[in-house]
Amino acid sequence: MPRWGMAVDLDRCNGCAACVVACHAENNISTVGADEAARGRAKHWLRIERYWEGEFPDVRLTFRPVLCQHCDNAPCEPVCPTYASHHTEDGLNAQVYNRCIGTRYCANACPYNVRFFDFFNPSWDKPLHLQLNPDVSLREAGVMEKCTFCVQRIQAAGTQASAEEREVQDGEIQPACVQSCPSKALVFGDLDDPGSRVSQLSRSPRGSKLLEDVGTRPKITYLARQSQA
Amino acid sequence: MTHPTGSRINNDLLRPLLLTSWRFYVLVAFFGAFVAAGLIAWLSQIFFGFGISGLRWPVYWGFYVTNFVFWIGISHAGTLISAILRLVNAGWRRPVTRCAEVITVFALLIGAMFPLIHLGRPWLAFWLFPYPSERLIWPNFRSPLVWDFFAINTYLTGSILFLFLPMIPDFAVVRDRATGLRRRVYRVLALGWRGTPKQWHRLETAMQIMAIAIIPVAVSVHTIVSFDFSMAPVPMWNTTIFGPYFVAGAIFSGIAGLLIAMAALRKFLHLEEYLHPVHFENLGKLLLVMALLWGYFVFNERLVTYYGNGPAEMAVFRQTQWQSFAPLHWTMVFLNFVLPLTLMGIRKFRTIAGCVIASIGVIVGMWLERFLIIVPALGHKYLPYSYGTYRPEPVEIVITIASFAAMSLLYVLFAKFIPIISIWELKAGEHPPAPDLVPPATEEHRLGDLRL
Amino acid sequence: MTAVYGLYPDGASAQQAVNRLRAAGVLDRDITVISAQPMEDYEFGQMDKATWMWWFACLGGLIGLSAGLGLTWLTETSWPMDVGGLPIYAWWPNTIIIFEMTMLGAIVATTLTFVLSALWPQRGRTLYDPEVTEGQILVGVEHPVDELVSELERALSAPPGARVKTR
Repeated sequence: MPRWGMAVDLDRCNGCAACVVACHAENNISTVGADEAARGRAKHWLRIERYWEGEFPDVRLTFRPVLCQHCDNAPCEPVCPTYASHHTEDGLNAQVYNRCIGTRYCANACPYNVRFFDFFNPSWDKPLHLQLNPDVSLREAGVMEKCTFCVQRIQAAGTQASAEEREVQDGEIQPACVQSCPSKALVFGDLDDPGSRVSQLSRSPRGSKLLEDVGTRPKITYLARQSQA
Repeated sequence: MTHPTGSRINNDLLRPLLLTSWRFYVLVAFFGAFVAAGLIAWLSQIFFGFGISGLRWPVYWGFYVTNFVFWIGISHAGTLISAILRLVNAGWRRPVTRCAEVITVFALLIGAMFPLIHLGRPWLAFWLFPYPSERLIWPNFRSPLVWDFFAINTYLTGSILFLFLPMIPDFAVVRDRATGLRRRVYRVLALGWRGTPKQWHRLETAMQIMAIAIIPVAVSVHTIVSFDFSMAPVPMWNTTIFGPYFVAGAIFSGIAGLLIAMAALRKFLHLEEYLHPVHFENLGKLLLVMALLWGYFVFNERLVTYYGNGPAEMAVFRQTQWQSFAPLHWTMVFLNFVLPLTLMGIRKFRTIAGCVIASIGVIVGMWLERFLIIVPALGHKYLPYSYGTYRPEPVEIVITIASFAAMSLLYVLFAKFIPIISIWELKAGEHPPAPDLVPPATEEHRLGDLRL
Repeated sequence: MTAVYGLYPDGASAQQAVNRLRAAGVLDRDITVISAQPMEDYEFGQMDKATWMWWFACLGGLIGLSAGLGLTWLTETSWPMDVGGLPIYAWWPNTIIIFEMTMLGAIVATTLTFVLSALWPQRGRTLYDPEVTEGQILVGVEHPVDELVSELERALSAPPGARVKTR
């Protein structure tokens, strides 16, 4: 069984947010409009956190893409009364929309705040409604949603590989954010395969986990920034 | 402490049932209007979507969960206090127990509504119920929300029975006193009660068992409500003190609710001869004890956080102590600690009016306490980028007000249809001691109550 | 004749009536006493005190405990779901479910025992007088043997304040 994970090279991330757009497009995440976004209803499964370091004029801008960390000890899972949030065999932190009754407990338990509640039924400004992804279900009002590591792409690659009677190759699966990253800051793959790029990067001395001391054992490794620019 | 006796008790306590003044209809219409407004607000929330509430990322719990915890807390007034007073056989409990137990049942019913109101898809709430379904999946028994379901279910069942069993002899009294339709209804409710020694013994034994069983259940219920918070790795939530802290806070706000209800009953139903100043004084002392206990817990919780100086906890701590939530926090400390300590600690102020003022303060303060546990922590959780805040929208405010109106409405209706003070328990408290000529009950008989 | 009984204004005279009925050879189980409040200060108020209710409550608790254990054990092992790295059957959280079910079982069993032992209608035991509500204490015998009626009436009318009625 693979154990899917990701490495994020903060040295390469320039905060362009192409991944955010790609994520919205791939996963049928409804755009809520400016007003609702201002009221805190925007749903960015993947967000670019921007931090300023230092005092003006000696400031440095740093970015950190934050998405669901697919924790091994995910605090969001045991609190769900209906198993909507649970762990799959290949280590994904799955969210089953049809089981969700909207207690929003998982979002509270999540230290990373990467779970989002659907306050209204989904809608898109024209012509965005014409580009919905048929592989991803729409979420009705009242359920929680979050990054799935583009599980539809993982499934498709697995099906394709088994049809061709072979293993899934490293780099064959690319979640939308990984695919769209112009500077190749995001790397996705199998953490259990010691030869895969993602597990090599995860073992890098630059690597650290986000909020590691909370004890969630996340599967995303952030590679620390080295450049001074 | 003297009470009227015999038929006088019947007359006084049945008067609200048999005579109806216009004030009753005004009260029902007044509270009913608020309840109707609350229902409309909830329906519109279902219809238009949850977005009409003020909840927002990352503060996904707000007024509704505050109300849930608040009302479950209020419910600790009745059954728990009444059970303790029954077990220690406190004589002054007799006029107090029923109006306390009623608070439990109604507050639980209202409190249990809030998880439903708060659900994103409330029409699927039955998925929490453990039943073999076509979905081939059961509830997650490891989830604190499922514990809530079981705990509230047990507590509500127990409280309703604990309230209902001692009402049966009083239904028999109404049955004998009333005529017409009322007589027929109360005949059914009285379940064929006659009043033989066997029935009295069984009733008292049942009440004793229930009292023993309901105390740990009541403690567990609010501990489990606190688990809703302390099980999540949220700064200032994930702490072992929450269990006892919540139980103490629940009893605290419960006593306050009971004092307000008793003062209202005494005034509007003219029960001055039954609810004496001594009852208020005793409960006022209890309120004082709980205020001290509450202060002790808050001091513990705060000091440990301050000394530990963890960055995530301190972010929340600063918010409540000095920053945006500070006005609410210090209001809470004043209302929950300074005010009851002053009013209940000084004998001159421990009057009925003093009790009511302190209790209203405690009710407001305890509501704020729950709000201040939930919102600042969710709004300042670890990553500064995801800090957020929360402001209630009209729908939440209307539903919150409606919950208070619903409590008042149910209480008014209850006092209209059921003797609000237990008639038989009052009579049992006043009958004279046995004369010498009769073979007295032996010591063994008296101790028989406690025999296992 | 379905019953002969007396109404007494206080516990002392009711106690005398009970004693005289006993003297007349009536067994305790045939004496009906009805009062508007428990009369535990008097000996007659101690009749029928023995009860198995505590044991039934314990039994109910045991049934509830087994139900809670079975519910959690069977469902969690038949539908194994990994959540947050917890064991499939996690004792600590499930203890809460088992505890609540235990208490629910005890409470329900107590109520059932009460209903069945105290409220369940017994054949031929229907004697009642609404005056009890006003504080009178009823002492009587239901379905007396016809030859004994006059003797019973004598016994019942002896205590002070007695009013004897037949039905």
